[in-house]
Amino acid sequence: MHIVELEHPAAEITQLHRCLHDLLGLLALPASWVGAKPAVIGGTLLDALKGLMALDLAFVRLNHPSSKSPVEMAWAAPGQLLPPRAHTIGTMLELQLGEDPRLWPPVVRAPVGSQELSLVALPIGLQGELGVLIAGSTRPDFPSQTERLLLTVAKNQAVMALQDAHLVAEHRRLAETLELRAAQRTAELAVANEKRRQSEAIFRGIVDTTPECVKLIARDGTILLVNAAGAAMGGAPSAEAVTGANFFDFVAPEDRPRFREFHERVCAGHRGLLEYTIVTLQGERRRMEAHATPMLHHGSTVLLGVSRDVTERRQSEERLRRSEAFLAEAQRVSLTGSFLWRVATDEITWSEQLYRIFELDPALPVTLERIEARVHPEDRPLFGERIGRARSGGGDFDAEYRLLVPDGSVKHLHVLAHAARHGGGGLEYFGTVQDVSERRRTQEALDQVRSELAHVTRVTSLGALAASIAHEVNQPLAGIVTNASTCLRMLAADPPNLDGARETARRTIRDGHRASDVVTRLRGLFGKTSVGTEPVDLNEAAREVVALSAGELQRARVVVRQELAENLPTVLGDRVQLQQVILNLLLNAADAMDGVEDRPRLVTVTTARDDGGVRLMVQDVGMGFGREDAERLFQPFYTTKPEGMGMGLSVSRSIVEWHRGRLRATPNQGPGATFAFTIPSEPAAPEHAGDTKV
Amino acid sequence: MAEVSPRLLVTVIDDDESVRESLPDLLREFGYVVETFASSEEFLASGDLGGTRCLILDVAMPGMSGPELHQELRRRGGAIPVVFITAHNDATVRPRLLALGAVDCLFKPFSEGALLAAIHAAVPAA
Repeated sequence: MHIVELEHPAAEITQLHRCLHDLLGLLALPASWVGAKPAVIGGTLLDALKGLMALDLAFVRLNHPSSKSPVEMAWAAPGQLLPPRAHTIGTMLELQLGEDPRLWPPVVRAPVGSQELSLVALPIGLQGELGVLIAGSTRPDFPSQTERLLLTVAKNQAVMALQDAHLVAEHRRLAETLELRAAQRTAELAVANEKRRQSEAIFRGIVDTTPECVKLIARDGTILLVNAAGAAMGGAPSAEAVTGANFFDFVAPEDRPRFREFHERVCAGHRGLLEYTIVTLQGERRRMEAHATPMLHHGSTVLLGVSRDVTERRQSEERLRRSEAFLAEAQRVSLTGSFLWRVATDEITWSEQLYRIFELDPALPVTLERIEARVHPEDRPLFGERIGRARSGGGDFDAEYRLLVPDGSVKHLHVLAHAARHGGGGLEYFGTVQDVSERRRTQEALDQVRSELAHVTRVTSLGALAASIAHEVNQPLAGIVTNASTCLRMLAADPPNLDGARETARRTIRDGHRASDVVTRLRGLFGKTSVGTEPVDLNEAAREVVALSAGELQRARVVVRQELAENLPTVLGDRVQLQQVILNLLLNAADAMDGVEDRPRLVTVTTARDDGGVRLMVQDVGMGFGREDAERLFQPFYTTKPEGMGMGLSVSRSIVEWHRGRLRATPNQGPGATFAFTIPSEPAAPEHAGDTKV
Repeated sequence: MAEVSPRLLVTVIDDDESVRESLPDLLREFGYVVETFASSEEFLASGDLGGTRCLILDVAMPGMSGPELHQELRRRGGAIPVVFITAHNDATVRPRLLALGAVDCLFKPFSEGALLAAIHAAVPAA
């Protein structure tokens, strides 16, 4: 309280009392305003001012921090003609006062409504940011000092109340915001929980219905969780039956260390894949393939595994592998490879063995070019022709080729292929290739041995025959020589022993006859009479002989050309004997060409009609003979061969002559000789031949 | 013959009759005493083994062959010289028989000169 104007001391004291009383009243206001809203504050403020002083108009605007529109309240003395709305009154008053509260004069005399009022405007807050309090009175002396003091105190009280209210409001707002946030968060959590619950349900569903075993295994092997499929794989009736059991016990003993190591690694935080065998509760062994990943479970890392039963698959694979191995082994042992050739694309599938036979690198794809490069150069034209025919739909084929492999050796192959149309209708050949080299070599070796044996037999049998003949003749010759010697001795004695000489001479004659008998017996042996007579086709006989001696002729590198006339009459005779003659002529021809290197060793066998008979000729290109030797050839024991006995042609001639035929030899114009015999074709019995000869 | 000891016995064994007839006559012309047998078995059964100074033996005979008889005699400790005769003119036979201890091997028909040379070789004292 500053300076007080003192006009009348008593009135002044009364006035001071009143003023003090009013001030106390105003100071008590905030207690009633605790927690109050601005509207309550404004209303109370206006009511208090009305009671404290004579006013004609009061207006308060309070800016509430939590709401945008301020609280505006107005009071007017009865009789005042003012707009009904406090806001309009406020706007009207501010028009009188000016926009900036800081520039407002302490008091303004201005017409408001129907009267002229003295207006006091007090900004609430330093800048009026909290609002404005305006009081007006018709009294020209308004406001008195006391009134101004009261208005100022009231305004300050309102400021404090508003600040309190602001704080409270702010607190409330914060509390509300927090509450809102909490509610939002709670709702979000509820949604998230629901989502998780749904998602868990889906996962649960997946886990329960998957045919694979899903399990959670603790580090010590305890089964924490397993789905129905997993329990079934272990042979358990339900998941509950095995939960809590130790999974390691299900793993087959031989796989257990490996599994434990794997399990340990997963529990240490690594993902992994393992195949192992389990033994079910029923004792059945199943092969499992497990994918595992580490998972945090109640604070410790455990194994989450998804495994499937691959027993069937492994068994099928094993069966397939075994079957393939079996086939490969069979191919290896039989030296047989197989192939599939799709003609349109030239796509060729080869078995492993085929790569081995062809000695091709299995890493490179097989092409016809690579195959052809291996075919023996002499067989390539044949091979190319065969492939061309197959390509144009030639059908099944069965062929033999030779290969020339890098080390220079030759392989003989037997190829069998079957033509077929595959699904798309394209031509394809499926076939086998067998390496028959060994068989070929064996065959050739066998032929060689057989030929050598035949040769040895021929030589030894002729040699034995010759030795036998010599023995038979030497015996009587020994007697003749000895007797003759004795005879000479006896005649030379003095006196001559004539009786003895006569006796020994007689014995000499006897032994001479004996020797002659031997020769007669021999002739009978060669010209044996037990000969069959039948119609003989010389063409057929010749073909048989050529076929029989093919091995030996081939070994001697002799090529036989047959020029056999058609529609030949048959001859009557002994087929085997005639074949012996043909064989003898053929072998002689081959022997005669031994050593011929500058030209092909060609033998030509020709048959033809000849003057009522059939002629067979064997022509060689060998060493031949001189014209003067033509007849000596047929003498017994005449030979030009180191191992020969000189009997063949002699015997041959006697056989031919027995058939009433003739055997002749003539030197060729060129190199070699021709041996020919003719047998009469008329069906006369050979036995009568002797009778006609007179 | 004056120059040959009349005591010398030559035995001829051969299955061929003409040899058994002709050879003894010729040998007797040279002054030998000759006995003949048609087989090895006959000779072994005769008991004349001790007296024979030279054996003229055919190689191939039915029953015991000449070489078999030769070996049998050697086995018994006898040392009768043997001259083989044979009608099998096989060049491989001669060296084989000589290796087995034969004095000679003559191929039929043989000359009287060859025969005498063989006997002289068999009985040098003669």
